[in-house]
Amino acid sequence: MTLLQVRGLTKKHDDVGVLNGVDFSLCKGEIKIVMGPSGCGKTTLLRCLNRLQEPSSGEIIFDGEEITAAAVDIQQVRQRIGFVFQNFALYRHLSALDNVKLGLRKLRGLSDAEATQRAIYELSRVEMQDHQDKYPAHLSGGQQQRVAIARALVMDPAVLFFDEPTSALDPLMAREVANLLNRLHDEKVTILCVTHDVTLAKNLPGDVLFLNHGRVEAEAPISELMKNHANENVRAFFEQKAPSE
Amino acid sequence: MTFLEIVSILARGAGFTILVTLACILTGFFSGLLAALLFRLDIRPLNWLLHAFTYTFRGIPLLVILFLVFFGLPSIGLPIPPLVAMMLSLGLICGAYLSEVFRGALEAVDPNELMAAQSMGMRRIQILTAIEIPQMLRFSAPGMLNEFTTVLKYSPFAYTVGVPEILKEATSLALTTLRGMEIYLAVGVLYFLIYKIMMEMFLWVERRYAIPGFKQI
Repeated sequence: MTLLQVRGLTKKHDDVGVLNGVDFSLCKGEIKIVMGPSGCGKTTLLRCLNRLQEPSSGEIIFDGEEITAAAVDIQQVRQRIGFVFQNFALYRHLSALDNVKLGLRKLRGLSDAEATQRAIYELSRVEMQDHQDKYPAHLSGGQQQRVAIARALVMDPAVLFFDEPTSALDPLMAREVANLLNRLHDEKVTILCVTHDVTLAKNLPGDVLFLNHGRVEAEAPISELMKNHANENVRAFFEQKAPSE
Repeated sequence: MTFLEIVSILARGAGFTILVTLACILTGFFSGLLAALLFRLDIRPLNWLLHAFTYTFRGIPLLVILFLVFFGLPSIGLPIPPLVAMMLSLGLICGAYLSEVFRGALEAVDPNELMAAQSMGMRRIQILTAIEIPQMLRFSAPGMLNEFTTVLKYSPFAYTVGVPEILKEATSLALTTLRGMEIYLAVGVLYFLIYKIMMEMFLWVERRYAIPGFKQI
C-alpha cells in the first residue's frame, strides 16, 4: 500500500532548479535509499517532503492526503514524519531522555510519567537506556544518532526520513547504523534514507532512487545500478565510488 | 560612633538600594527579552521602533532620562513615583543593553535544532519556549551579570529623586557627624557586600542550569 506518492516535484532557488520534476512512491514498510552526487538535490528533496522547504510545484500525497495544499495543517503532518538529521540536531540543553520526551510532552500532551515511560522504552529500543541522563555533548556521534532515532520513533511516525545517517560516523558506527536500520525495517518501519554511502546502501534491502540534477534517473536495487548500468551518470557515480569500497 | 555602628545605620538604606536594584533588573530583563523577541519577528516598522528604543536608552545619560521622567512628566500631568521613575529610566536602559545581549544569544542557538523542532511538528511558540529561550538565557548569563552589576552601581541615582537608599543616608550622616571618610568607606563596603551576594547568587543559578559538557561561546 502506497504511503507516499510524489509527482512532478520541483524546487527552485533564485530561478535555479534544484529539483526538476521528481516522481517516486514509497510503500508502507518499504525502505528506499536516495543516492546521487553532491548537489543533486537529495537533502532538498527530503526537506520538501515535509515542507521544511516549500516546493515550487508538484504533488506530495502522504497517507492519502495532498500535503502541499495551503489548507493542510503541516504541523500535524510533520508529527507523522520522523526526521533524523545528518548532524543529529539534538537539543543540547536537554538530556537524552528529555530530548526524546519533548515531543510527547509538547505535542502529545502526555504527563511527565507517561512520557518518561515511553521515552525509556524507545531509548532501550536503540540500546541507549544506560545513557538516558547524559547530555548531547557527552555522547559520541553514534550515540547521538541513536538518541535522534529514538526521538523520531517515539512519536510513532508513519515514515522515518534519514539524511546522510552515516556521514558523521566512523566505519564501525556506520555499520551499527546499518544494522539498526535493518532492524527497524524488520519491525515494518517505513524508511526513506538519503545517503552517498555505498556501503550503507549495499547493506540495506530497499531500492535505490538515483537522483541527478534534481531528477530521478534510475530506480533499482543497488546491485543492478552497480553492474554497468545503461545510464551514463549512474555508471560514472558508482565507478567513482567503487575504488573506495 | 564606631565603624560598625556607621555601617548598621547605613544598612537601613540598603533595603531601598536592593529594592531599586531588583525593580530595575526585573524591568530591564523583561523589556530586554520582549525587545529581543520582537526583533525576531523581523517586521520593518517594528524594527525601527525597537532600534529607536535601544539607541535612545543607550545614548542618553541616565540622569537626563531620570529627570525627564521624574520632573518632566509631572509637568504634562503625569506624576511618577520615585521607584517607578527609576524603573522607567535605569530599568529601561538596562533593557536596551540586555536586548542586544539576548539578540546575540538567540543567534547562537543552533539553527539545526530549530529545524529539528520544526520537523517534529512543533509550532513557533513551542520552539521559542522549549528550545530558544532556555538556551538563550544560558548563553546570555555573562552579559546579564554585567548589566545587573551596572544597575546596582547606578542605583545611587535614586538619591536624586528622593529614595532614601544607602547614599542618601550616608550624606545625611556625613553632614551631621562630619566623618565623611569613615562613612563613605562604609558605603563602599556595603555596596561591595551587596554586589558580592548578588554575584554569588547569580553564579549559583548559572552553574545550576549550565549545559553539561557545553562550553560557553
